[in-house]
Amino acid sequence: MQLFFQHLINALQWGSFYALIALGYSMVYGILMLFNFAHGDIFMVGAYIGFGVATALAALAALSALALPNWVILVLTILIAMYLTSFVGMLVERIGYRPLREAPRASAAITGLMIGIILETGNLAILGAQRIRFPSLIKTQVYDIGGVVVTNKKIMIVVVSLVLMLALNEFIKRTRWGMAMRAMAFDYVVIPLMGVPLNTIASLTFALGSALAAAAGILFAVAYPVLDPYIGITYGWKAFVAAILGGRGSVKGACLAGFLLGFIEIFVGAYLSSSLRDLIAYSIILLILVFRPHGFFGEPHSAKLRL
Amino acid sequence: MRKGLLLVVAILVVGLALSPCAWAKSKTIKVGINAPITGDIPKVGEGSKYAAEMWLEDIKAAGGLQVGGEKYMVEIIVEDNESKPESAAKAATKLITEDEVLAIVGPQASSQAIPAGEMANNYGTPMISPWSTNPDTTKDRPFVFRGCFLDPFQGPVVANFIKDEFGFKKAAVLYDIASDYPKGLAEVFKEAWENINGPGSVVAFESFTTKDADFSSQLTNIISSGAQFLFTPQYYNEVALIVQQAQELGFKGPIVGSDSWGSAETVKLCGEACYGLFFSTHYAAAGATGATKEFIERYEKKYGYTPDDVGALTWDALRLVQKAIEDTGKLTGNLKNDRVAVKDALAKIKEFDGITGKMTFTPEGDPIKCAVVVRISEKGEFEFYKSACP
Amino acid sequence: MANDTSVSAKGGSTRFGRLRAYVADVPLLAWLLGGLVAVLLEQTVGDTLADLVGLPKVPVLFGCMIMLKEPTLIPSALIFVALVYGAPILLLGKLMARPGNWMADRMTSWPIAIPVVLHLVLLYAIMHFWADVSLYRMLTLRLTLIAIMLTLSLNLINGYMGEFSCSHPGFMALGAYAASAVMVLFFVNDRLFGEALLPEYLGPFIFPAALVLGGIVAALGALLIAIPSFKTRGDYLAIISLAFLFIVKSLFENLQFLGGARGIKGQPDYADLPTVFCWTVLCIWIINNFVRSTMGKALNAVRDDEMAAEAMTVNTRFTKMVAFLFAAFWAGIAGGLFAHTVRFINPGTFDLKRLAELLAMVYFGGLNSVYGSIVGAVSINLLGEMLRPLALYKWIVIPLLLILVMIYRPTGLVAFKEFDVRKLIQSKRKPEDEV
Repeated sequence: MQLFFQHLINALQWGSFYALIALGYSMVYGILMLFNFAHGDIFMVGAYIGFGVATALAALAALSALALPNWVILVLTILIAMYLTSFVGMLVERIGYRPLREAPRASAAITGLMIGIILETGNLAILGAQRIRFPSLIKTQVYDIGGVVVTNKKIMIVVVSLVLMLALNEFIKRTRWGMAMRAMAFDYVVIPLMGVPLNTIASLTFALGSALAAAAGILFAVAYPVLDPYIGITYGWKAFVAAILGGRGSVKGACLAGFLLGFIEIFVGAYLSSSLRDLIAYSIILLILVFRPHGFFGEPHSAKLRL
Repeated sequence: MRKGLLLVVAILVVGLALSPCAWAKSKTIKVGINAPITGDIPKVGEGSKYAAEMWLEDIKAAGGLQVGGEKYMVEIIVEDNESKPESAAKAATKLITEDEVLAIVGPQASSQAIPAGEMANNYGTPMISPWSTNPDTTKDRPFVFRGCFLDPFQGPVVANFIKDEFGFKKAAVLYDIASDYPKGLAEVFKEAWENINGPGSVVAFESFTTKDADFSSQLTNIISSGAQFLFTPQYYNEVALIVQQAQELGFKGPIVGSDSWGSAETVKLCGEACYGLFFSTHYAAAGATGATKEFIERYEKKYGYTPDDVGALTWDALRLVQKAIEDTGKLTGNLKNDRVAVKDALAKIKEFDGITGKMTFTPEGDPIKCAVVVRISEKGEFEFYKSACP
Repeated sequence: MANDTSVSAKGGSTRFGRLRAYVADVPLLAWLLGGLVAVLLEQTVGDTLADLVGLPKVPVLFGCMIMLKEPTLIPSALIFVALVYGAPILLLGKLMARPGNWMADRMTSWPIAIPVVLHLVLLYAIMHFWADVSLYRMLTLRLTLIAIMLTLSLNLINGYMGEFSCSHPGFMALGAYAASAVMVLFFVNDRLFGEALLPEYLGPFIFPAALVLGGIVAALGALLIAIPSFKTRGDYLAIISLAFLFIVKSLFENLQFLGGARGIKGQPDYADLPTVFCWTVLCIWIINNFVRSTMGKALNAVRDDEMAAEAMTVNTRFTKMVAFLFAAFWAGIAGGLFAHTVRFINPGTFDLKRLAELLAMVYFGGLNSVYGSIVGAVSINLLGEMLRPLALYKWIVIPLLLILVMIYRPTGLVAFKEFDVRKLIQSKRKPEDEV
């Protein structure tokens, strides 16, 4: 039983990354009906920006009388990196997606994919081939609760992810911008005619999604402090699965699907076979899709929707 | 338009006259480096490239390569194999037919070395893969050699070391199932350990997939299996994550690794968590003497970090190529014959004194060399602990 | 030439247009003859000429590599390419235009197979002599032809059907493993499968069967995706197929008798240029016939409006299934050829990077078009080789190029163009000439 709870805690942490990355995917997908294949690499860029900010802040703190406690540095890092990465997202939208608004959706997806490759290679060209260790800003505290091991990092990661998800949910539900986004998801042909600026909404969507990816990237780097230019690829594609599994434009759905994916991966690895993990985990996903072909919360697509 | 045309022609003619190798063709020996500059393991490619640059510097400082009383200029051609099998095959073929290299060093990883070795062997060009441990790389290929020892040797070395040092009975293994080096070594180790301690003594044999970052489910199982130590033949980026997560989850026993730990990045990425751990490898950087020390210091000075085992092995492979070329006694200028001569000379090399140990090639083209067990010291240096020879 | 200045002031497009008009009456036959002469020229006097203009040897891929590596050699390489390729093709093409057109006119009265075979023989001869110069060219060419098959089959799903499939590397893997297993089992003394079971001379006869078996295995795998995903319309195919790709990769990593992560090596060398060429031609021919058939038109109808298609009595689910399995079949065959060209496969060969590469080729070339698939596969493959000297920056230049193509031609370079053999080989004489 205690083993089960240990796996549960592990799965919670792992699922929150998938959920956070899937959210950004899901926003772009839900509101603009586009696949953002650059998302995984924006996640990577976010983690690297976080590394830069954290190093700079730590150096500042060490140098001057600016005696910041480490957790403040971490919070600042997350916020600043989210802010900076949102510009990366907007840039991606501006270069890769806006010129292609009239084009088939898949073409835009391909530009996204290509921007992703450029981000990876650019990183490799600028920073060189060595991997980077993310500074350990908070000291790991291990709590042993009846044989179940929990660390302060794990708690922080899950809490911060949940807070971000709730914040996004509130933003979309309660603010005017959020309403405009929902409207756009409902019908992106008519709504712009009613005075909702399409370009602004598109930029905002990408900015929000990228900021979430950056947050996920930093949390990831705190938990798994080894960064290389290619970390985003696999997580990007897997979060893509989660985002669509969740259902179109559903924040709840994407979160749920992200957590589900994390849980399936961890529990299959733990109880069935770690070597057959991908095989079994994705067969389960396939089965879910057979029975719920529209994902968890999605509505059926109109037949006109095409790539 | 006519004026423009004239201008273009004039430029072409002038350019032609000025082009460097228009009139003179000097005698050069070309050596190809087939390395993963982009793709999954760019660091490996970088290490190979840097080692090759240093080697070239040495040759240039000596005024060229002396073969049978004649000095030859040496040129190095680095070709990127993108960490892809078909790209490695293309790169090898390009080096062989287009650049007309005398010998090739690389590719490093087995999944690229096997297809590239096929091309090298078919087209009669000697190739040394410094880092590939898959038996298929050199099997039935007279032209293909390797610079490192094989899994069947390294696995028992680690198993015996742990038995002698700690006297443990129960082992756990964590490896990457999608990558052939860790998988091969994990299996060999399991066999070796069960030979010593009887069947069932490997209590946990867990795997993950390349690019995974979370090993918590596997490690939780390993801890609950009651294993006394963990053997993980992983690359350094994963080592850092595995060691950290294992300790956070409450694993108390030692974690032991293999030669893939042998990089300065292991300590950089892993930090204090890795101090005091053991792994088997080709050479110990701290406390190295002679040529090894000299190489490490030069490399550190030039590139700012301690060379990985890949760098050292590539250096040795290049030195082997150099020795083989010198041993041929004379280059005829007929590339095909020269390549065969270099291959024969390589196969004949005995007791080559490399910086990663003495080596002699078996008929398969695999070296017989010693392994060392290294301890990561409290200063984060790789200290010599023990050595094991076949 | 009095008005030259005014024309050149307008820029290159006009001049390019004039060149086009100049060669408008050259039929394919004449071009092919020109090409043949060019490659023969290169083979006979290439070395001498290269020596003359100061190149170390015959530039392997139209001089691109040497120009990037040694900028000082740009003039020499340009001269070489102009003399060996440009001049003969242009001159001979123009010179042969009249007889070529005459010939093409004559051939219209013959059964279509004869002129087609004639053109194909010419095309093969060009490739053969071109690739004969260097083994590197040969390997590149074979892999490019295989890439054409892959691109075309993926285009069937992503272009003609208008879905987004991510499982093509998986189909490739199924085909590659099935074909390799058969061939290695029967004809190679190997670590995995032991002694060869059949004598070697049977190999070339079993090889096509092994490839087809690979295709069938891939199609069976596709059935697994097709059954759940074509119940509804939407993006679910994208993730189902992606999940399938993960499953296939994980499967082969775990199948010890197929080598696991170590893969299979030593496939017999049967995928030589003629074999690959024949399969590629067969693939293009069959897929082109498929998309021009009623079924293909139904497929297009499904893409444009599924409901309307359904109303027009198109059995949409069946149509989509058939097309999907068909595409998977050809991907499997291409996978088998790939395995026998590289002569090594492991599960890591068929990963997400391969997917990105295939998608790039399809969308670069153009959706819904056979021409597009050929253009996409050839350009991405050749660019990948030509830009080798750029090393790392190659992977910035190629994606940038693709983004530009997407922005200016969102459906790809040559999209939505029918591939009509008759039109392709017909006489290019203008109607007024005939009077």
